[in-house]
Amino acid sequence: RRPNHDSTDECPKRKPKKKQNVSADGENQEEKVTSGSDSGLRVSSQVDEYEQDTSDEEDIRNTVGNIPMEWYKDYPHIGYDLDGKKIFKPIRNKDELDEFLDKMENPDYWRTIHDKMTGTDVCLSDEQVDLVHRLQQGKFGDVNFNEYEPAIDFFSNEVMIHPVTNRPADKRSFIPSLIEKEKVGKLVHAIKMGWIKPRRPKETAPQYYDLWAKEDPNAILGRHKMHIPAPKMRLPGHEESYNPPPEYLLTDEERQVWEQQDPDERKLSFLPQKYLSLRAVPAFSRFIQERFERCLDLYLCPRQRKMRVNVNPEDLIPKLPRPRDLQPFPTLQSLVYHGHSSLIRSISISPSGQWLVSGSDDCTVRFWEVCTTRCLKTMEVGGPVKSVAWNPAPSISLVAVSYGENVILVNPGLGDRLICSATDQLISSYEEPEEVKDQQVQWAVPEGKAQEQGQRLILTHPKAVKQVSWHGRGDYLACVMPDDGSSLQVVIHQVSRRRTQNPFHRNKGAVQCVSFHPSRPYFLVATQRYVRVYNLIKQELTKKLMANCKWISSMAVHPGGDNVICGSYDCRLAWFDLDLSTKPYKVLRHHKKALRGVAYHKHYPLFASGSDDGTVIVCHGMVYNVTACFCFSSLALSHISFYSVREWCVSIFSPQLFGLIDVYIANHIYSNLGCIVTITLPTLSSSQVRKASSSFALTLHCPKL
Amino acid sequence: MSQLQARFFTDNKKYVIDDVPFSIPAVSEITDLSNVINKLLEGKNGDHKHVEFDFLVQGQFLRSSLATHLETENISTEEVVEIEYVEKYTAPQPEECIMHDDWISSVEADSEWILTGSYDKTARIWSLEGKAVATVAGHTDVVKGVAWVKRDGLSSLLLTASLDQTVLLWEWSSERNKLRARHCCRGHAGSVDTISVDPTRSKFCSGSWDKMLKIWSAEMSEESNRPRKKQKTEQLGPTRTPLMTLSGHTEAVSSVLWMDTEELCSASWDHTIRLWDAETGSQKNMLTGSKVFNCISYSPLCHRLATGSTDRHVRLWDPRSKDGSLVLLSLTSHTGWVTAVRWSPSHEQQLISGSLDNLVKLWDTRSCKAPLYDLAAHEDKVLCADWTDCGLILSGGADNKLYTYRYSACLSDAGA
Repeated sequence: RRPNHDSTDECPKRKPKKKQNVSADGENQEEKVTSGSDSGLRVSSQVDEYEQDTSDEEDIRNTVGNIPMEWYKDYPHIGYDLDGKKIFKPIRNKDELDEFLDKMENPDYWRTIHDKMTGTDVCLSDEQVDLVHRLQQGKFGDVNFNEYEPAIDFFSNEVMIHPVTNRPADKRSFIPSLIEKEKVGKLVHAIKMGWIKPRRPKETAPQYYDLWAKEDPNAILGRHKMHIPAPKMRLPGHEESYNPPPEYLLTDEERQVWEQQDPDERKLSFLPQKYLSLRAVPAFSRFIQERFERCLDLYLCPRQRKMRVNVNPEDLIPKLPRPRDLQPFPTLQSLVYHGHSSLIRSISISPSGQWLVSGSDDCTVRFWEVCTTRCLKTMEVGGPVKSVAWNPAPSISLVAVSYGENVILVNPGLGDRLICSATDQLISSYEEPEEVKDQQVQWAVPEGKAQEQGQRLILTHPKAVKQVSWHGRGDYLACVMPDDGSSLQVVIHQVSRRRTQNPFHRNKGAVQCVSFHPSRPYFLVATQRYVRVYNLIKQELTKKLMANCKWISSMAVHPGGDNVICGSYDCRLAWFDLDLSTKPYKVLRHHKKALRGVAYHKHYPLFASGSDDGTVIVCHGMVYNVTACFCFSSLALSHISFYSVREWCVSIFSPQLFGLIDVYIANHIYSNLGCIVTITLPTLSSSQVRKASSSFALTLHCPKL
Repeated sequence: MSQLQARFFTDNKKYVIDDVPFSIPAVSEITDLSNVINKLLEGKNGDHKHVEFDFLVQGQFLRSSLATHLETENISTEEVVEIEYVEKYTAPQPEECIMHDDWISSVEADSEWILTGSYDKTARIWSLEGKAVATVAGHTDVVKGVAWVKRDGLSSLLLTASLDQTVLLWEWSSERNKLRARHCCRGHAGSVDTISVDPTRSKFCSGSWDKMLKIWSAEMSEESNRPRKKQKTEQLGPTRTPLMTLSGHTEAVSSVLWMDTEELCSASWDHTIRLWDAETGSQKNMLTGSKVFNCISYSPLCHRLATGSTDRHVRLWDPRSKDGSLVLLSLTSHTGWVTAVRWSPSHEQQLISGSLDNLVKLWDTRSCKAPLYDLAAHEDKVLCADWTDCGLILSGGADNKLYTYRYSACLSDAGA
């Protein structure tokens, strides 16, 4: 049924699949189109579909193509047919009213559509409407098409006994692949060369770890393991009874007091009330609130285990180092230097350590050989000796001795002969300057016997000289003339030029003692309460150390230069660190009576203090470390000095045992953070020493804990 | 434990008894044991005279009752106790007390003469009987050390060291009693405290406060006829300079001695004992102690050093031990600085020590707890001690007295 093409034919579709028969009637035509299309879609149709339908015959009634048809709006025709003749628009005389009437009356109006290509109205057949509906619903246009036909797996997982194709196997499937061989060769080479590592066998053993191994029992989570029972509710008492005994009932006054009290302060949180019977008891009005508070208690109450600490107070005492570990320090009296017949006021040890000089009230100065206690030389001077000082310079052999208003410089003639003669030469080589300045101090050269004895220079001061102190280089000598009212209390002598200076023009209080700093150009002046540190180069006050005590008696500078200790008459020893502060680093109150002398050891961390109570306490002092002290007791003592070379300490014990100088090799007091352990060695005479080693008294003072 | 089994033995052939164990009371003391041995010996030969014995248990002298000794020494009483017995050492017999004018700083004696150095700036020569023979005067300061160099016939050479930094070499002819300073050894910059002559008697070594040891020749140089020089040093002889200076000590050398011809040993205040090679002057070994050493002595018999320290102990050292300093023994009984120690020249276990506590003690290294004898004659510090080959013990001190003691180890040897 090949559709005959008719130029006059009016087709409702723009692209119908053109199998309609020519028909005058639109509806019949539609039916035929539909049936024609049906047969065209039928796959299984035996009819050759291409017989009746060719695409080049598509909608050729109007040849204008796919253009907007409004272009022909103003023309009487609507296009051209195959023969080039105009297709004229059908005469449309319907107005709006006709349209409306048509809509109202024509039952097929809903299926009438306007064909733009031909300008005609086409009424759709039932099949066509049905088709439109199907397409609108997204279904296949063909009614008979089953879209859910059962699927047949052509290639399935089942192994077929027959090949799918009958094609014989390729030749290449029998020949080893060269490319693969090359690839394998490369891999084998790489394995041989070690570029590819064989795969490590997987560890088959399952890996477990203890999740709680690192659990800190003190951690927050760890605390949950520690079960602390919730605080128990108090059991109800008689006052909570519905019928409490009358003594539990509150009187009016008590009730008023209860009501005025803050709810937290009330002893009872409720008012005991009396009811005749249990039935008369009303419902507990605060039930919910009380439950809530109970829950809050359980949730919020701080739960912690209260540890009762049982500490032995003695355990809190810091551990003191054993005295054995702090050795060396003096422990025993070794030597006694007999000879002086009166109080010994001062001692000094030569820089080489071989000699000791002592000055006494019996107007003599004695020179001793340290190791044998032999008095090698005795020199008489014109008055009680107040102070002796051996020149610290090893190349100068001079001793300064002060008595009364005089200071004499003595060459003891001990030690190296060359040094002695060089010292003599140094002093005698002085030439009188041209212009003689008027000095407050008279320099004189002794004559005769005094010269023979070794006296080299006599310096006569206006006032009594209490202390002499050498500078480390040995050329300068400071003398102290304590006098509260004068500005002339300290003078500094330069021995080589025989010059005297008064470094201070103003009186800053009674000077007790002075000392040169061992390494820096400082000069330390101790007045009654302060130690002033002057810079000699800049001529200014560098520091003022507050000794924190009432009357300084003595002062010693550590050979390193950073520490200063001051002894005072009010039983204190103040230890300053010059780098730290002007306040004492530590104040030690070990002595029971006034301190008379303090001394530092040159090498070991030891310092000693001697006191009127007859003891010398040797302290082992390290900054940042404990202070352990040791004391040896004897009779009252006036001056102390550390033996420079060894761990020995030389002290003088005055009134009863006057005339003796003891070298001590001993000790015992410990102090640390307020606790003092005192081990006192009983007073010994030299013959008792051997028995004393077993008879120590031990006192332990602990701070209140 | 009232009885225990003991077997006695001795090295002395004269006193050998049968080697059988005896049952003896545990509380027995030396006298009881001594009586037992004497009884046994009397039973063996009739003409035995009573001899005091001393007893050693495992090399330690018995000084208390047997039971307490065994307990303290931790020796089992279950087994047979081996007890060695030796003839009791007799106490040194005091012989002479030689008075000096001043403290005695040093002493050295040989078989005929005693040489002492004193603080009165002289050294003196005495006969063994205590007769002053000669005075060696020449030093300008305290004499700190003396030594005999050699004695051939009637002329002798001797050395004196002094605080005046010199050592003088003297020639002394005992026949004419003429003394002449032959050489003045200058070189030290401090007091010379100690001198020691080497075994070949050709060199000597001096130790000084200036921390140096110096080796000098002790040979007599030929008289050079240089009148100018001679006049200048007429008094003290030509100046001699040291052959070698050994430096290494950091503080004063307190004592020096020759261990043999090649080896020197010095003790110092710097807590060390140093051994030196005398040929090359190099330091061979160092023993470090913890206290100042005042004196040192070496015994060629037992090859040990004995030192005296300021901490009152006498310590014995083995200088050959390589593993650091090894103190073999500490002998503790003194109560003052030990200033002198001297080994016995004939007995390898005995030594004497002198101390500032006025005592001289005679020690046996087998009883280190207590000395054999205390020689308490001095009234002041003991500063020096010596022990001669002929069994004479000498000690001098700050009481200006030189005491001599005759010491023979055993009574039976006394006549020999």
